[in-house]
Amino acid sequence: MSAATIADRRVHPLTIGLRVLRDLPRTVLAGPAVLAFMSDIGLWRAFALAGLIALVMLFFTWLGWSRFRYGIGERELVIESGILHRNRRTIPFESIQDVDIEQKLLERLVGLFRLRVETGGGGKDEGLIDSVRIEEAERLRGAIRAGKSKVPPATDGAPAESRVLFAMGLPRVFLAGLFNFSLVFLAGLFAFLQTFDRLLPFDIYDPARWIGLVDRALPQRFAFQAVAAVLLMALVLGVVAGMLGTLAREFGFRLTAEPGRLRRVRGMFTRSEAALSLRRLQVALLRSGPMRRAFGFSELFFQSLGAGTDGGGRQSAAPLARDAEIDPILAETGRFRRPEPGSLAVVSRWHSARNLVKLVPVATILIMGVAFRPAFYPALVLIPLLAGAAILARRHHRFGLDDGLLFVARGVWRRRLWIVPARHVQGLALVRSPLQRTLGLATLAVDTAGARATGGPAIVDLRLDSAEALARAVMRARSQVSGKKSGTER
Amino acid sequence: MQSLEPNQLKLMRIHALIRAAILVAIALGGEAIIADNSALPFGLVFGPLLPVLVWVTIIAPGRRYRAWSYSFDADELQLARGIMTRTHSIVPIERVQHIDVAQGPIERSLGLSRLIVHTAGTAHSRVVLPGLSEARAHEMRDEIRARIVRDAE
Repeated sequence: MSAATIADRRVHPLTIGLRVLRDLPRTVLAGPAVLAFMSDIGLWRAFALAGLIALVMLFFTWLGWSRFRYGIGERELVIESGILHRNRRTIPFESIQDVDIEQKLLERLVGLFRLRVETGGGGKDEGLIDSVRIEEAERLRGAIRAGKSKVPPATDGAPAESRVLFAMGLPRVFLAGLFNFSLVFLAGLFAFLQTFDRLLPFDIYDPARWIGLVDRALPQRFAFQAVAAVLLMALVLGVVAGMLGTLAREFGFRLTAEPGRLRRVRGMFTRSEAALSLRRLQVALLRSGPMRRAFGFSELFFQSLGAGTDGGGRQSAAPLARDAEIDPILAETGRFRRPEPGSLAVVSRWHSARNLVKLVPVATILIMGVAFRPAFYPALVLIPLLAGAAILARRHHRFGLDDGLLFVARGVWRRRLWIVPARHVQGLALVRSPLQRTLGLATLAVDTAGARATGGPAIVDLRLDSAEALARAVMRARSQVSGKKSGTER
Repeated sequence: MQSLEPNQLKLMRIHALIRAAILVAIALGGEAIIADNSALPFGLVFGPLLPVLVWVTIIAPGRRYRAWSYSFDADELQLARGIMTRTHSIVPIERVQHIDVAQGPIERSLGLSRLIVHTAGTAHSRVVLPGLSEARAHEMRDEIRARIVRDAE
């Protein structure tokens, strides 16, 4: 507590007025307005009520303002807030990625600015100082930058020599477009037909009709041709839409290596350029569907620190590439590589069983659905398909830790392989559901930066002892790597 | 692994009582509606509610409290929680981005604080450790802060 930074500064008092104004339509006016319409309390009383609400709001906003304090220390920014629930946040300068000064319309009227401090996480309000005069905003930004500058940022000074790592010609882009025609589209098509089947001159789920069509082909030639035409059109449209979308997005795809970063250029109508700083790359993800796999292709993504902004989040590095093309890209980063063939281990035998158990509700719903609408019976085919996938899941769910790199592979149909350097693991969680506890299993969830909200690299249904051993090994690997680092860099 | 401050159990009991009071209020409302609209006897709502209340106020807080534990050293913060689904989290200290020390009104009167560490991760980027004494929370905060040496990514 002794050397703690003192948070003694408040934001500008005009902020109170700004906040009340900002909330005015929704709280102060809406309530009495509704009341005035709904009952006969009269316009003046409604105004009086609005005034009262405004006063109460003003009081609480003032209270919130007086309890919001911030301060800048030698190494950190401290923000205190909360009326009843007190919160004291400490943001070390070292973890601050970006400081934005922004001004919205209302703030512009009174000449105030917001200071937004971003750390590596998502786009949450990690540190928001709302609102201060421009001199104060610049003082804060200056102090944060000065405090940070012990670690110099990557300078983009001299003209960078660049070298093409991966590029896609027109045929490759077309091929990628073909693969983008997914089964999802077909499913969507059938859902559409199902919804609008009254518009069609027949029942697409009536097999007797399909068989009968041949007999009645002559008198109903028009109907048959119409059906065939509609289906064919939809199919062609799907392919064309997938092609055009891919063409517009990936046309002229080029990934080049520059000192300290990768640069990606793509797009037909709008050429978009993104720079992926090598320092900020966290995770490599290889993904392939059945079609891509059959032709020996997969997709490469990188996860990067900072969500959404300048090359953060999940970024495509090669939309359609062969292994031989992916390896140089991975090598260029200096931290990722593909696992040695056959080096990854499988999870517990119970994994398939637990997957089957998870299928029970889906299967029940399907069977009940068919009981109510017998016309849906072809949907029952899904049950053995899903069950097959559930059993196969174990074979394709593999993991391994080799030389500081954690590999996690998952997926039967669409396969994903995560490559996570141990030192970029943001956190580990061993989760055990009641069923997993009775079976002696655990799921090891690996938290990484720049991932999507769901579907990260988790190793599901490991035996408890191997899950614990793996967690320990990952933690050990990260400390070894950082130990090596500090030995060479400091 | 260390357990939480004994006062945290008190806090959980107070929260449980508040929750129980809300349930009782709703049940009273339900009983009143039944009494107004029918000749059914009193207790139709309360009867089934009674075991729930016993569970919420008497049994659950202790179990919840005992399910929590944590350990903290120079390299990592570990915490275990959950009765049905057990979760054991491990957070590498040098991955911590910023730290909150938070305190609600009841926590303040019991001398408790919560430590919240934020990492750059996605699914578990916010790890909350409740039931620390104020001094311990500040001490842990200062230790973590001193440890955050940002290695160039």
